Amino acid sequence: MAITAEAPGGARAAKMRKTLLGYVPIESPFYRYHPVTRLVLFVFIGVVPIFIDMPEINFALVVLTILLLLWGKADLKRLRIYMPMIVTIAIFMFLVVFLAPGNDPTYTPVRIGPATIYYQPVFFTFASYWRLMAMLFGTILYFSTNRERDMLVALRSLKLPFIASYVVGFSIRAAGMFMEDFSTIREAEQARGLDKSALKLADQVKLYVMYLVPLFSIALRRADEISHALFARGYNFTGKVGRGDKRSDYILTKYTMTKADWAWVTGLVLAFVAAAVAEYGYGGFRLVHSPINILLRQALGIG
Amino acid sequence: MGAAIVIKNLEWKYEHTTQFALRGVNLEVEENTFLGIVGANEQGKTTLINCICGLIPHSFNGVYRGSVEIYGKPVLKMSGLEIATQVGLVFADPEAQFTAMTVEEELVFGLENTGYDLGKIKERLDWAVDVTMIGDLLDKSPYDISGGQKQRMAIACVLAMNPPIIIMDEPTSMIDPLGKQFIFDILRKLKDAGDRTIIVVEHNIEQLAPLADQLLLMQGGQISKVAPPARFFDDLPMVVGSGAYPPEVTSFAYWLKQSGRLPQEHILPYRFEDGVDVARAAFNSARKTDEPIP
Repeated sequence: MAITAEAPGGARAAKMRKTLLGYVPIESPFYRYHPVTRLVLFVFIGVVPIFIDMPEINFALVVLTILLLLWGKADLKRLRIYMPMIVTIAIFMFLVVFLAPGNDPTYTPVRIGPATIYYQPVFFTFASYWRLMAMLFGTILYFSTNRERDMLVALRSLKLPFIASYVVGFSIRAAGMFMEDFSTIREAEQARGLDKSALKLADQVKLYVMYLVPLFSIALRRADEISHALFARGYNFTGKVGRGDKRSDYILTKYTMTKADWAWVTGLVLAFVAAAVAEYGYGGFRLVHSPINILLRQALGIG
Repeated sequence: MGAAIVIKNLEWKYEHTTQFALRGVNLEVEENTFLGIVGANEQGKTTLINCICGLIPHSFNGVYRGSVEIYGKPVLKMSGLEIATQVGLVFADPEAQFTAMTVEEELVFGLENTGYDLGKIKERLDWAVDVTMIGDLLDKSPYDISGGQKQRMAIACVLAMNPPIIIMDEPTSMIDPLGKQFIFDILRKLKDAGDRTIIVVEHNIEQLAPLADQLLLMQGGQISKVAPPARFFDDLPMVVGSGAYPPEVTSFAYWLKQSGRLPQEHILPYRFEDGVDVARAAFNSARKTDEPIP
């Protein structure tokens, strides 16, 4: 399925292509780069925040990711589906730290109206939240600009055994099909007059439990079908092939690592290593270096 | 021409069932011929082809008696890979056989399993794509194409592997009339090439009969009749009673015969063109006797 848009001449041109996990643009500057380069970019943006405590840098990574989404022609409107997650994470994290800040005498109390909060755990939570957001946006960027095939090509190019990349592919496929089956079952219920909004919360919970029965039976049937399909196509999990010693990988021949790819991969790997060394060797990204933290501490008179 | 498939006294009972799904099946399919299998649901058609392509007993549990031989070798003694290079199976539900993320990957998957080199893979891929006319779908996800396209893709996957025996289980059951026509066009091309043994399970006898060298009727887990299409409908009530719906032209000619407007020795037609001749013969016969045709 493709999302279409009215072109100036009146013709309808497809802009987005549906994948099992979302939508990707049909044309994107990202596609000039090898899937390995895109995977390395994902690892960089998605994993580097682990080394970085400073919220400013993680916030900058979020902004960078949004710019990359724009550049990559991803549909930013679809980011709305992540809003509930972004808000819910914030609510849970800050609620926990407001209600149960811990019991450390070095914490600095701050009065906000009738409530007392403690500066250190709140700021740490603030920093952790932006770290999570940077990782989340990195993931969104990857899945908004890479098809399932690109992911598998990247993994196989990195010499992941075929069977392992195949299992990854199946998992992605299973997730997409599970959601499709779930939506089919819900539509079937609605078609037979079920009004979920009229149900009590307890009944809604029961309803979700009831979904598991058809979903599991469908999943088992599909597993059976796939197993038969693999048999019929001569696949065996030993990786043994009919002729010759090595399994040919036709799809990999469609992609070539260019000089630009190598340059980006090298740059990103070096930046990744530099970030790890800067944090674990010199503590370069710790909270004590955060300008916001420094300003707030000065404002609150914390030494 | 030798036998591509020889089935001797085959019996099969699925695990946890009380009755045998196949009972005393004996069959010989000549190399490079087209066999159409017809019959009502639950009569053993799919079970029979699963036995030929080795899914039974390799992937199912149950009681297996007798033998199925592919080019003289028992299926029981062949590995899955070995069978796949000899027998290609197109499932009734094309989605059931998808294992990859794009149509192109799906097509080359079997070729990679058989160990072809990249040049050969490209050559086989191009040929299968050309025969099934799916060149514009290669980059798409197998889930984002129409039912007819899915079925053509499923056929292309099997064709690409170039097995000498191709089996299709109700290949048109889930698609629209135009899609069905596409599938029968492909079957016609394969039949005309004459270099493959083709077995098709199909309810649409109207389109199957003109392609088939032999038609086989399954009933109650047994082969109830095997005959060339020209003789298959000799005992039409029996065929209809077994749940196989004959071509309209055959029913019409049978009605003419029953009402005495067509000589009894006339063979029931199964092609539209032959039906026209039969109608003309009946009309001429009526003119001679001045009997009005209602």
